[in-house]
Amino acid sequence: MGGGALVSSVRNWWRDGAASWNAFWFTPRDPTTLALMRIATGAMLFYAHLVLAIDLSAFLGDAAWIDNDTARSLHDGSYGDPDWGRSYLWYLDRPPTIWLHHGFTMLVTLAFAAGLLTRVTAPLTWFLQLMLIHRLTGALFGLDQIATYVAMYLMLTPCGSRFSVDAWLRRRFRNRLGDPAPSGRVLRWMLPTHAPSVAANVATRLLQIHLCVIYLFGGLAKARGQMWWDGTAVWFAVGNFEYQSIDMTWMSRYPILFSALSHVTLFWETFYCALVWPKWTRPIVLAIAVAVHGGIAMFLGMITFGVMMIVANVIFVDPVWLRNLIAADPNPGSQQDRNAHRAEAPVTASSSSHRA
Amino acid sequence: MPSPPPSNLPRPAVRRVLSLVVVFHLLAVFLPPLAFQARGPLGSSPSVRSLSQPVRGYGEFLYLNRGYAFFAPDAGPSHLIQAAITDAEGNRVEQMIPDLQRHWPRLLYHRHFMLAEFLQDAYRPPLPADAESLAESEPAEYRAWRAGRARYERIRSSIVDHLAATHPDHEVAIRRIEHAIPTFIDFNDEPTPLDDERFYNVLLDRPLEELPRSELPRSEFPGSPEIDSSPETDPSATPESP
Repeated sequence: MGGGALVSSVRNWWRDGAASWNAFWFTPRDPTTLALMRIATGAMLFYAHLVLAIDLSAFLGDAAWIDNDTARSLHDGSYGDPDWGRSYLWYLDRPPTIWLHHGFTMLVTLAFAAGLLTRVTAPLTWFLQLMLIHRLTGALFGLDQIATYVAMYLMLTPCGSRFSVDAWLRRRFRNRLGDPAPSGRVLRWMLPTHAPSVAANVATRLLQIHLCVIYLFGGLAKARGQMWWDGTAVWFAVGNFEYQSIDMTWMSRYPILFSALSHVTLFWETFYCALVWPKWTRPIVLAIAVAVHGGIAMFLGMITFGVMMIVANVIFVDPVWLRNLIAADPNPGSQQDRNAHRAEAPVTASSSSHRA
Repeated sequence: MPSPPPSNLPRPAVRRVLSLVVVFHLLAVFLPPLAFQARGPLGSSPSVRSLSQPVRGYGEFLYLNRGYAFFAPDAGPSHLIQAAITDAEGNRVEQMIPDLQRHWPRLLYHRHFMLAEFLQDAYRPPLPADAESLAESEPAEYRAWRAGRARYERIRSSIVDHLAATHPDHEVAIRRIEHAIPTFIDFNDEPTPLDDERFYNVLLDRPLEELPRSELPRSEFPGSPEIDSSPETDPSATPESP
């Protein structure tokens, strides 16, 4: 009798767990947040490629700071265990070819930001960025990490279904044919309707958890040091001349201020992974994220990294809330899209109480 | 009481496959920074190393093999490269890398800054005089040291070659510079500009036994794991990346 109750409890526990897992991962999600993130991420990657173009031969080719052979040797096991970082850019050495490739990369990235043929340009943007990353070993920093990750998750989603050239094209095709969606399977896939989708939810969840992992280990790594505990870390950050973009050394007169900022950063980063999920702590956690990354952007010379981290945090903003915020729909011809969305609305509403 | 399942879930078979893919990917996200933190003087944690093995290649290709140790464990000093470029007549020009005046916009400056930090991070002193005896007693350590030193020399040589290519018919030499940061107490007692020349220290390339303790590679500190403490230096879970 006792054994039977135990088996039943375990079975219920398993069933509840499976239901929660399914709801967490497979509930269709509105892609509005992802569409906005596509614009910001595409623009940031385009800017990074543009800046690289200013001094392209210093970073790509045989006469770069890290030349092709050296870049390859840092991955192929010449000096230790090999890794799977691979890039065909190790083999591009003629300047015209490098320029042609970089021009193509910039065009594709711009198309991704604009939402033009996003089903194709999104994975292409990510792949071209990944190839650059494995070639630019030695010149990379946090911006490259977070921008690549966001692009990777966005390519899995219909992020071009709104605020995009694709949305405009879809309306053009629809109006011409008189159907709510473009005719033809390929065209329908290429120009997706703006409606909740499982792909949007899976990618959102993956990026949310990835962000939690980044902050957790960022916090744990800090907890192994001394300065985040004795409160001097922020002083040594603002006192670093190479990072400084605005002189904040006046802080030296206010140890209470910089030590409090050090402690808040340590605890916020470590506990982000827990506190960002409950609805009542999420606004606080995200507000601190904006403050911390905004501070890095303004005072520590990393405006691109700071902005991109804020963009990544937008993944925790509820798309329904965001959609309501952008209540004035700029797309006059999107009535069918709204209808499609309304059809999915009960799902979104019923699960919104436990969703990010 | 769990909420009722949404009516439009994908088919169970699709969900199962997707769940497996998701779990695999999340392992590749979680394990590299864990492996990065789980390294000690005796090497990596055996359990974490074993667990990481199946997702290693996938994570490396997708650039997930990061440590995320920004400004950690402590916010340390910056490292720069100073280049001396001498023409045939013996006229010498010195350049600092990065340089706010030459490297603009800020993102370009930051890429050059990361290069200087990368060189510093890769640094391994020349092999000690008794290297041959080390080769017999600690062959694995000896091989790792020799590979690390060769890697550093390769990176340094590439940087020198780039400067030589951009300055034809000039001789080029570089050295590593550490830019120290005063404590807030020292700064209050004597408010010296942060770019005062007293804060710039030349890091010499000397065999291990001749290096002062402050210049020892981090892995040489007893009990201290080899953790990249340079802020935003693209900390990696693998020793061969910055």
